[in-house]
Amino acid sequence: MSMQVRKCPAAPRIDVPGMLWTLVRTDFKSRYHGTLGGFVWALLKPALMFVVLMSVFSLIFAATPNYRLNLIVGLFLWEFFSEATKTALISLHSKGFLLTKAQFPSWILVVSSLSNAVITLGVFTVTFLVYLAAIGRTPLATELALFGFYLALFFLIVAGFGLGSSVLFLKYRDLNQVWEVVVQAGFFIAPIIYPLDILPERYHIYLYLWPPTPVIQFSRTVLVDGAIPTFKAHLLLVAVAAAVFTTGAAIFRAYSPNAAENL
Amino acid sequence: MSVIEARQLAKSFWIPSAKRETVREHVLHAFRSRSFERLDVLRSVSFEVKAGETIGIMGRNGSGKSTLLKILCGIYGADAGALVVRAPVTPILELGLGWNPELDAVDNVLLIGTAMGMRLREARHSVDEILAFAGLERFAGMPLKHFSSGMAARLAYSVAFKAVRDVLVLDEIFAVGDQEFKNKCQARFRELSARGHTVLLVSHDPWVVSEFCPRTLVLDGGRIVFDGPGADAVKEYTRRVVGP
Repeated sequence: MSMQVRKCPAAPRIDVPGMLWTLVRTDFKSRYHGTLGGFVWALLKPALMFVVLMSVFSLIFAATPNYRLNLIVGLFLWEFFSEATKTALISLHSKGFLLTKAQFPSWILVVSSLSNAVITLGVFTVTFLVYLAAIGRTPLATELALFGFYLALFFLIVAGFGLGSSVLFLKYRDLNQVWEVVVQAGFFIAPIIYPLDILPERYHIYLYLWPPTPVIQFSRTVLVDGAIPTFKAHLLLVAVAAAVFTTGAAIFRAYSPNAAENL
Repeated sequence: MSVIEARQLAKSFWIPSAKRETVREHVLHAFRSRSFERLDVLRSVSFEVKAGETIGIMGRNGSGKSTLLKILCGIYGADAGALVVRAPVTPILELGLGWNPELDAVDNVLLIGTAMGMRLREARHSVDEILAFAGLERFAGMPLKHFSSGMAARLAYSVAFKAVRDVLVLDEIFAVGDQEFKNKCQARFRELSARGHTVLLVSHDPWVVSEFCPRTLVLDGGRIVFDGPGADAVKEYTRRVVGP
């Protein structure tokens, strides 16, 4: 057929904030069975994990207080990355029943799937900042603002990954298993349990290309060390975030129009 | 003015001799060739729908009806041709599916309602009315997994009838529920039609097509083989299905 494809079905105007909120709220409700106990547990869990880990690390690493703080920052940021990417990867598939029903911007399903990981990270952040204040190491406003900036970029990285992987998962149904292995390996590529300094400096740049690495390292620098990374380092992080998001968004743009056909 | 203009729409699906749906299969069989069979579901389908028209679509199973509806609703893309839809479309497709079984009826109404284009506030205000239309007020707080398929389908109709904007696209209307619910649907359908909504409805039911569709398309083998009054379309459809 030589005729050019031209398609412009008029979609109903979608209340994007309303739909996002409904998806986030109902996801949360399904996960915690809509009970008050479930809601309280969802909020308490990261705070309790913090208390448990900090108690254990205080015993094991009593002589190196900064190491245990670095470790806990690394673990929670990694947990966010791991949970958010795994959930986002299957988000279109798990909400496929909506895709075949109505016409709406499908990125909403990917972004809303990140909500649980965001809530957990939010609770951890508050708990950690309260802890820092309690031990007399409250970060300065600039350091806090930079940490917020890193979290925003981390969200962008995870959203970019989620956009790209969620449409690819519809074509490659074992992508989640492959990603599980990558995440396992990635835990050791990112300097979470070991300090970056134990590796020769010439290798650092390669580790920084793994997106969680700069976020974890820079967050430690501002929250634990009370210092500010260089401007060049910030440029690297912005470039990594932009590259991941742009690539993910481009893959999503290419494949999402056929998402319903691949379900 | 036409609300929908379809020109030479075509859609094919490529059916592989061996399915590869995983990274593992793609890697392990990277150098193994496989053949594809082309299944032409729609071939050069052209028609126009004027604002306020009610159009029926008939055709045997596999004739391309559902694919055509999904293309009109923007859920599938066409491979070739041109499609212009000038008003928002509210689809009711695959009835009884599309719910989150863990959520109760109210949350599912809010979820599907917002996905169909209702504002969240509007959806919240309409919950009671939607449940009343479906006759499911008593089950508002019950998870959908405990609903029968008929109850779920009634809820789907009720949401879509409330969410409808301009164009309503229906697959197998009036096929669910008891006579009381069917009567309610028919009354609501007539009301929407009288208010100037454009409606496309797929049905195998000769009575539905004759009663509600002044104009009906009959699809066969992915082509429109008849475009005319509902009663004549029923004859053409019957002739093609059971023979002259």
